[in-house]
Amino acid sequence: MLSTRGQVIERLLRGEFICRTSDEDAWRFLKTPANREQVDDYLATLNRMVAAVGGSGEGDVFFCAYRQLGEDERGVLGQQFRDVCAALSPLVEWLVLVQEAGAQDAPLTEGSALRLNELQSIVEDTPAFREQLARISHYRLFGSTSASVDGQIKQVFKKLCELGYLVRPNPDKQIYLGTGKLDYLYEVIRFIDESEGLDLEGRAEGAGQGSLL
Amino acid sequence: MSGNLHQAGVRFLRLLGRHAEPIMDAYLSGSVADQALEPAVEERLVKDGILYRPEPGADLHLRRAVRALLEEALRDDRNRQIDANTGSALATFKTLAAHYKEARHQGDYAAADAYLGELREHVYAFGETLGHGIRVLWSRINNEFGYVGTLNAKIRENELAQSQVSELLAGLELISFEELAETAGDLRELRRLLVTSLQRTVSACSQELSVVQGRLLELLGRFRQIRGRTRLLKGWLLHMEQQPDYRVGNHAAQPQVPQLFNQAPAILAAAAADVHNPLQEAVLLALVAQARSLQPAERLSQAPGEAGEFVLGAAEDFEVVANPIRVAVEAYFCRVIDSGERLSALEYRAQHDLPWEAESWLYQVIGGYEGLPEEQKECFELAPDGEHHSLYSGNFIIRDVKLCLIL
Repeated sequence: MLSTRGQVIERLLRGEFICRTSDEDAWRFLKTPANREQVDDYLATLNRMVAAVGGSGEGDVFFCAYRQLGEDERGVLGQQFRDVCAALSPLVEWLVLVQEAGAQDAPLTEGSALRLNELQSIVEDTPAFREQLARISHYRLFGSTSASVDGQIKQVFKKLCELGYLVRPNPDKQIYLGTGKLDYLYEVIRFIDESEGLDLEGRAEGAGQGSLL
Repeated sequence: MSGNLHQAGVRFLRLLGRHAEPIMDAYLSGSVADQALEPAVEERLVKDGILYRPEPGADLHLRRAVRALLEEALRDDRNRQIDANTGSALATFKTLAAHYKEARHQGDYAAADAYLGELREHVYAFGETLGHGIRVLWSRINNEFGYVGTLNAKIRENELAQSQVSELLAGLELISFEELAETAGDLRELRRLLVTSLQRTVSACSQELSVVQGRLLELLGRFRQIRGRTRLLKGWLLHMEQQPDYRVGNHAAQPQVPQLFNQAPAILAAAAADVHNPLQEAVLLALVAQARSLQPAERLSQAPGEAGEFVLGAAEDFEVVANPIRVAVEAYFCRVIDSGERLSALEYRAQHDLPWEAESWLYQVIGGYEGLPEEQKECFELAPDGEHHSLYSGNFIIRDVKLCLIL
């Protein structure tokens, strides 16, 4: 059996995100500065290091980053960045759909539970949500070709689990939990918003007031 | 006189008890209609100051004092009022202390005792009110303002609570112990009441209030973060709607790559099994056992099935022809399982030169899929290709179907 340190290193090298929801033990392990240093030392041989996103609170999420960037690494990062950007719109649309279908104040974040059956029945009963889901599921990211809500929603959930945005703690139940990667996604949007001066929040607020008038 | 008061109070409480039902109705629904009460009862309740009519023609409402009593007793969340009026309490203390001192000075000890008792009552009540205010704040914090629905309402409630905390703190600052000590002079009883006891209450309350304030700020921060995220999502959608050709600048190409986008790809592949390691033998054997049980049941049961067919045919010349088109459909399904890829039924038919017409072949494939047991059906997805009829709505013409495996 591997030690916690071994497991943490393995997960990081597999390109996974470690958050409180996906692996609490590993997350706690990395929260201790001494442990994180150990892992960092180990990863240094492979030109990698532990990176964290998400402020100082409970919402930290850890992943594996390059230590030094050469030409090759830059190429990889550029491709990754393009992938992230291409995935943004489908993911955002999906998050909004989930939030609106659940009539919730808060968008899905790390640790919030999502029941596939409930979401499915709401979407099936509402034509607008059905259309939205059909559009979302036909994005290349999700790649569903199904015409039924059932097929579409299952494909979307399957893909989200593969991408690490959701976990399914109990394989017998259709209950999913959001992971820290969702928080990472918010950080990415916030970063783009700030660095490009899009003023997304102001825009949404203005639109909200506009619709009231 | 106190006997009179006592009797009147008991009578009042009995009245409350006797009319508990209409009073609780009024508490829960806010008001009680005239018709709901008998005129005599109504008159009684109004006369004793339990119900009142805010304006002519309006329904009867509960008096504030009765409502406050119930809110306190029931620990009702709707109770948001906090009495932060320290100034008038202080003025009362000083007045009573002056009465007490005067009475003592004149040697009227009975009156002095009465004043002292009253002062004590006021000081304790002051502490009680503060404690109550803090309890109300905590109960609101503890259920995170769950009694209002939307996030914006929660933020407003939080701001209200914060202003109340500031008011309470400002009220506590009004208390000057030097002044109180001066008022108390060298009278032991007064000092104990106005300085020692009050100081203890005030310091405990202000400590707790600062904790409350911290928690409120924390909650507000969280609410704002949630609202900010919602707005980010909505803003992004709006932005993409307004500028569909918007492309994010390449932030990964900057000389200093932001840590957010510096994510190393996976480099760990699965390790292979070591068949020479005796320690792992048990695990490997178990895996092998599992692998066998995973084989499809049809393949195992096929051999006896064929044998049975042969025997029957020989004995009675009885034809059990396995429907060839069905066999072909099965082969098609197996092909999809083996390849794991999406496969068009017509393409498969063309590839394998199947003799049946396209339409009957499609019918058979759809029939084969529908005929599967439920648990196997879940593993497949059948996607029809086609278009709606140009004239008659509700008719969907299927040109082709594609089968794929979803696991």
